Amino acid sequence: MEQKPTVLPKRTELHMARSMCWHCQSEVTGEYFCEQCVKVQPLSKELDYFTCLGLPRLLNIDLEALEAKFYTLSRSFHPDFYHNKTDSEQAISLGNSALLNIAYRTLKDPIQRAEYLLKLEAGSAKDIRTSPPADLFEEILALQEDLEEYRQAAPSQNQAALEPLKAKLASDREQLEQRQREMELRLADLFNAWDLLHAQAESAPVDDRLRKERETILKGLRELLSNRTYLRNIITDLVAVMA
Amino acid sequence: MAYSDKVVDHFNNPRNMGSFKKDEDGVGTGIVGAPECGDVMKLQIKVQNDTIVDAKFKTFGCGSAIASSSLATEWLKGKTIEEAQQIKNTDIVQELNLPPVKIHCSVLAEDAIKAALNDYKKKAEDNK
Repeated sequence: MEQKPTVLPKRTELHMARSMCWHCQSEVTGEYFCEQCVKVQPLSKELDYFTCLGLPRLLNIDLEALEAKFYTLSRSFHPDFYHNKTDSEQAISLGNSALLNIAYRTLKDPIQRAEYLLKLEAGSAKDIRTSPPADLFEEILALQEDLEEYRQAAPSQNQAALEPLKAKLASDREQLEQRQREMELRLADLFNAWDLLHAQAESAPVDDRLRKERETILKGLRELLSNRTYLRNIITDLVAVMA
Repeated sequence: MAYSDKVVDHFNNPRNMGSFKKDEDGVGTGIVGAPECGDVMKLQIKVQNDTIVDAKFKTFGCGSAIASSSLATEWLKGKTIEEAQQIKNTDIVQELNLPPVKIHCSVLAEDAIKAALNDYKKKAEDNK
């Protein structure tokens, strides 16, 4: 299995598509623009979204700061400001804007952010194996069967005969929603654990303990995010049928 | 993107929907899920003399997932264990004309087949 060499990048480095200004050929030292000729520089397509927005790979993000950074960069890349520039600059403006938009959209949402971080840190999400939640599947199948029974019986039967099933489904729903709330709390814990690990990796050499900790957190995240989806689906179905 | 006619057909007239008793002799059960979309699929086979004589499925998910598992049960019937092993998700993609965003549904069906076969083998092994 391919292991990413570091726990986390030590600092956020911007990776331009190339290190030399495409226009004046001097070394690019500015962040998004060449300091020599002030031309906009293309963001590398491989640039990860965190780096693109100048953020460390943390899971708790200051949304206001994120938005502010997004607006600032949007303004500097916006195609409207490039319509009387050269074709190359217009193309760069378009490319950068597109990358920036998707980066912002992904990081703004905590779930998408976590999914994305997992993808970055664990390669493809499949690299971190989690056993399928067999118990949860069984539970979902049983519940879906109850739901099906209710769906079929609801229009015809007299309501009194349906009451027990209805009561059971209602209590199932309550219990599932409770579990959903617990999951959100655990997700918040994992977010904090990841950020703490990030801070530790900044200040100390990365040893086996940190590596192990990293794996545990990523695995926990993967498991929680997928179980969360299964749970959400069954709750949605429950709510729809009972309505 | 619209569903292909075949997907719609399987969705409207699912083949072999239902289930066997899990502990019944010769029955193998595979339950799998797709974490990306939260779909859950149960696929069961009934085996006699190394041949799959019947197959059933229950899928809770999108039309493509239902069609993929419905098609899978159709294909499984009459196949030997060995032949069933060869069914690939790409065959399902081709038959149903699944768009790229729905390929994971066919992967799910292949996983379900594999899980059901493994469960059957394990049960057969335990009974020896």
